[in-house]
Amino acid sequence: MTDATIDPEAAERAAPLTISRTPPRRALALHRELTRVWRNDRGLWGQITAVNHTTLGLRFMGTALVFFAIGGILSMLIRAQLATHQGAFLDTELYNQIFTMHGSIMMFLFAIPMLEGLGIWLLPKLLGTRDMAFPRLTALGYWCYLFGGLIMLTALLFGVAPHDGWFMYTPLSDATHSPGINADVWLLGVTFVEISAIAAAVEITVTILRQRAPGMRLTEMPLFAWYMLGTSVMMLVGFPPLIAGSVLLELERAFGWPFFDPTRGGDPLLWQHLFWLFGHPEVYIIFLPAAGAMSMIIPVMCRTTILGYGAIVAAILALVFLSFGLWVHHMFTVGIPHMALAFFSAASVLVAVPTAVQVFAWIGTMWKGHPQFHLPMYHILGFFLTFVMGGLTGVMLAIVPFNWQAHDTAFVTAHLHYVLIGGFVFPMMAAATYWLPLITGKRRVKGLGEAAFWVILLGFHGTFFIMHLTGLLGMPRRVDVYPDNPEWVWLNLTSSIFSFVLTIGFAMFVLDLILQVTLGKRESRDPWRAPTLDWAMPIPSPSYNFASLPIPQHLGKPARDIMLALARGEGALAGAPRGRRELLVTSVGDARPHHVALLPGNTALPLWLSASIGVFVLMMLASQYLLAGLSLMPVAVLIWIWARGMAPAGVLGEVEASPGVHLPVHHRSAQSLGRSGLTAFLVADGTLFASLMFGVAFLSVVTSGVAPPVATAQSLHSAIGLAAIGVALVLAARCAQTNTPRAVAIGLGSNLLSLLVLIWLAITQMDDPTIHARDALRAALAGYAGLHVLVAACMAAFVLDQFRREEITPQTQGAFGAWRMWQRFTSVVVLISVLVLAAQAGLS
Amino acid sequence: MTWLGKLIAGPMLWALIFSLVYALHGWACAGQPGPEGLPPLSQSMLIGVWVLGLLAFIPLLRLTRPGAARHDRLPRLATWTGLVATAFTLFPVVIITSC
Amino acid sequence: MTRPALILIAALTLAACDGPLSTLHPSGPIATEIAWLWWAMLVGSVFITVFVLVLLVLAFGKPRQVQARFWTHGLGLWFSMAILSSVLGAGLWVGERILPRDDGAVTVQAHAFQWGWEFTHTGADAQEERTFDVLHIPAGQPVDVLITSEDVIHSFWVPQLAGKMDAIPGRTNRTRIEADAPGIYEGLCAEFCGTGHARMRFSVQAHEDWPPDLSDQGATSQEGQP
Repeated sequence: MTDATIDPEAAERAAPLTISRTPPRRALALHRELTRVWRNDRGLWGQITAVNHTTLGLRFMGTALVFFAIGGILSMLIRAQLATHQGAFLDTELYNQIFTMHGSIMMFLFAIPMLEGLGIWLLPKLLGTRDMAFPRLTALGYWCYLFGGLIMLTALLFGVAPHDGWFMYTPLSDATHSPGINADVWLLGVTFVEISAIAAAVEITVTILRQRAPGMRLTEMPLFAWYMLGTSVMMLVGFPPLIAGSVLLELERAFGWPFFDPTRGGDPLLWQHLFWLFGHPEVYIIFLPAAGAMSMIIPVMCRTTILGYGAIVAAILALVFLSFGLWVHHMFTVGIPHMALAFFSAASVLVAVPTAVQVFAWIGTMWKGHPQFHLPMYHILGFFLTFVMGGLTGVMLAIVPFNWQAHDTAFVTAHLHYVLIGGFVFPMMAAATYWLPLITGKRRVKGLGEAAFWVILLGFHGTFFIMHLTGLLGMPRRVDVYPDNPEWVWLNLTSSIFSFVLTIGFAMFVLDLILQVTLGKRESRDPWRAPTLDWAMPIPSPSYNFASLPIPQHLGKPARDIMLALARGEGALAGAPRGRRELLVTSVGDARPHHVALLPGNTALPLWLSASIGVFVLMMLASQYLLAGLSLMPVAVLIWIWARGMAPAGVLGEVEASPGVHLPVHHRSAQSLGRSGLTAFLVADGTLFASLMFGVAFLSVVTSGVAPPVATAQSLHSAIGLAAIGVALVLAARCAQTNTPRAVAIGLGSNLLSLLVLIWLAITQMDDPTIHARDALRAALAGYAGLHVLVAACMAAFVLDQFRREEITPQTQGAFGAWRMWQRFTSVVVLISVLVLAAQAGLS
Repeated sequence: MTWLGKLIAGPMLWALIFSLVYALHGWACAGQPGPEGLPPLSQSMLIGVWVLGLLAFIPLLRLTRPGAARHDRLPRLATWTGLVATAFTLFPVVIITSC
Repeated sequence: MTRPALILIAALTLAACDGPLSTLHPSGPIATEIAWLWWAMLVGSVFITVFVLVLLVLAFGKPRQVQARFWTHGLGLWFSMAILSSVLGAGLWVGERILPRDDGAVTVQAHAFQWGWEFTHTGADAQEERTFDVLHIPAGQPVDVLITSEDVIHSFWVPQLAGKMDAIPGRTNRTRIEADAPGIYEGLCAEFCGTGHARMRFSVQAHEDWPPDLSDQGATSQEGQP
């Protein structure tokens, strides 16, 4: 690109976006019209069929709170056990289950769902839209989270919960050293729950990029949206390594494929790399939304605007990327060369810089404004005190020699609680007290909230501050008794006593919430006098959020100045005159109106789909692999029905969003939300593939274990087979260029052909995957490829079916665009796999 | 290049160079469990990749011009972030010799 | 909050420094270097925490004219970069100094299993001497430990002598320990390894003479037999 090129974006920016006002109507009439269309069905069934982001966001957060309480009770058991050196009442096996479940619940069933819930509940309100991009997906995510969580809890009740620590290091977690289903519960349960993480990540990304109110440019959106964009992209890239690792470990446990077994060419360190490739970004995935809430609340509490918006966005960007370059600091003691440790030590130290930029920007904001002591401010100060100390011990742990001493001791336990409670729980409590009026429509009962804060602060620091010292005096993590070390007793006893104080504090906090919901007086709209759109609506927030969507002249103004105009329908897409759920889709950079998306209504389909996935998970747990395979049939059928729900139906004419602004509906737009969503999903899928490739590279280069046997797969037959697959898939990708029944049919045929060849290769040519890790990885790659080709074939068949139903016309593309993207992705990854196999065969 | 593309180009380049140097280092050190140092040839290769990586930021800095508006400033800041990260996280290739 | 905490921690460390597993009571040059690193970082951290808290307290007042760049670039970027670079430099310098080197140090072997340790050193007459749960080393000189595992991942740690190193099946890891004076030093498995994890202790006996004469200590080497 040279300077002479005309930047089309610059040209677009030069012309400011103008949308004229719609004449006002009666607010109450609009409210009734919208409520009829957007509300949940009545009764309990209405909760099951709900897809609305407010309902589901709150439900995510409520369920996460319940899991937080359960995880908290487990932590009390741990502290009670450690209060004395003989360990009063738990046996070791049960203790191991309890600390494993405490960590797993707090990470996977509390923190992640809590931030997903906050994002799902808040983002549409903040961005000026009516719902998330894929409401049914929101619901699917919730059910998967709930069922996965229930499976893990049930295991705990029956005494077969995971017991290998929340990072599940193999070989301890393999079939030899952990017989029984404990480890399978973790691998399958967590992976089931992660469906909700990927689903949330996809729709949060799409919602932020495509559903901002017209005129709300990326560079002007509220900082919380930047933080959530960073979070969701990190989830798309961070979770696939965990999913890949879990699937491989489950394959090893179930079928004996030795990915991590050093006696058969595997490597236990591969698990650690995959786990921490997820595990470290995870910490920032948890921190970023909390920091986003801080960036929203601090300026309002200080009656000013945020200081250093640009610097904060740059800091978010730096955190998003750098946090993927630190994972090895969890592995400083595994025997990695010092130079590599130095890279990761430097990156771990460097990541403190963007964090410091944010902390000082927040303090600068407080200097600039006039801080007021409302309840959220207490928790913000609690955050500063706790998180700064946690950050500093984090820097200490990034220093390699000190890490060699402190790693796996109570010092790390103390550090991670300072970071997670300081960096997540305190901000979340600030957020809860800040946004609760919008949820309940009620005012706080004064007094209890402040008391709860002080008890929590005292309890927290009393528990964890001296735990640093406990660690430095040599106490390792995860021991249940310490009979030979009387010098640790008073330290542990102090921690245990204060942990009960901490628990009382949390109970008071919850009681405060309950009191507000039940006894609180009615709160007036916009109680904080905030400048953001989330408060420019009635409280509690209505199901449709905005009676009309904000247009450029509504942006950047105090919420109370635009509230009435929006309620009276002066913005875009006022009311629901066509009786369907509509929202405005805008362009990525400058948020120019692009088209109108029609959202699906209430449905129980997400429940059925997640329940059928749950059946698959249970069959896997019960080692009924044949039944597990069969139970994928209903999953496939339900996905087909789901996709049928997206088919164009009804009136597809243009919609007048505002006077003179005529927009097509999404069926007639090539740049639909679905397309953006598939792109986001393919980023995650590509990362999954990259994780498998990392496994291939790691085992062939770094692992110096048992040499693999001579492969029969390296024969002429397999070469011909692989070449045939490659050619067929190139053909399929070419067919996906042309939107005609003939081309689609050929595409379907090529996919089926390559699938058949793949099956033939697997049966006749492939080496036994249980003998050596190399062959196990080849089999895993074949499985990945086969699944993708199968899905591509199903999508081609779906498109053909749409041609038959005459749903595809020159104006409406139907599912053709989705198939094209999937087919290209599939063809590329399968070709890469074939080339890698060829290279591996050539090298050996 | 779209605006978002310019925004992530610098950090992406860091990620690329970081992974490349880490991978090359792993390859160079593979099968050397002992306390021997890194062979000088491998070390110069790592330093070479690092320096080339740093040079690769020059065209990127030319692409993201400084400006007064936030819209122009952010990609510039992001590019500098990538450059500083590349310099800071990989400078051990020069000072550390052990495997 | 911080000043009482500081006084508290000073009192505590004086009282409790000499625990048998304390990293703050080092008994060899390697552990001493790391302990110094810790004390230096602690002092720095206390100053930074106090600095941030003072800034927070001063924030409560009338609105002020502020320079955004002072906060985001001055404090956020340059201040933190300066501190972090020096900490990193110190860490890498110490790290390079305490690494195992090719200098002909005495080498012993540690083989971990569920749940115990089998140690091997070269005794008199170049005989391989095997002991369980007691590792014999010479005092006053660096010793390299070659660490392996039989089954799952364990971790070899003698806090008073050096940092920890994992025992990973399929790999041999090397770490360096050194005791200043003859004596017995406590060690433990630091990586969670199953239900016997808490009991997986061992001790290191540093000897004046090397190889040591273990004939009068027959009981010690038998003690930990599984």
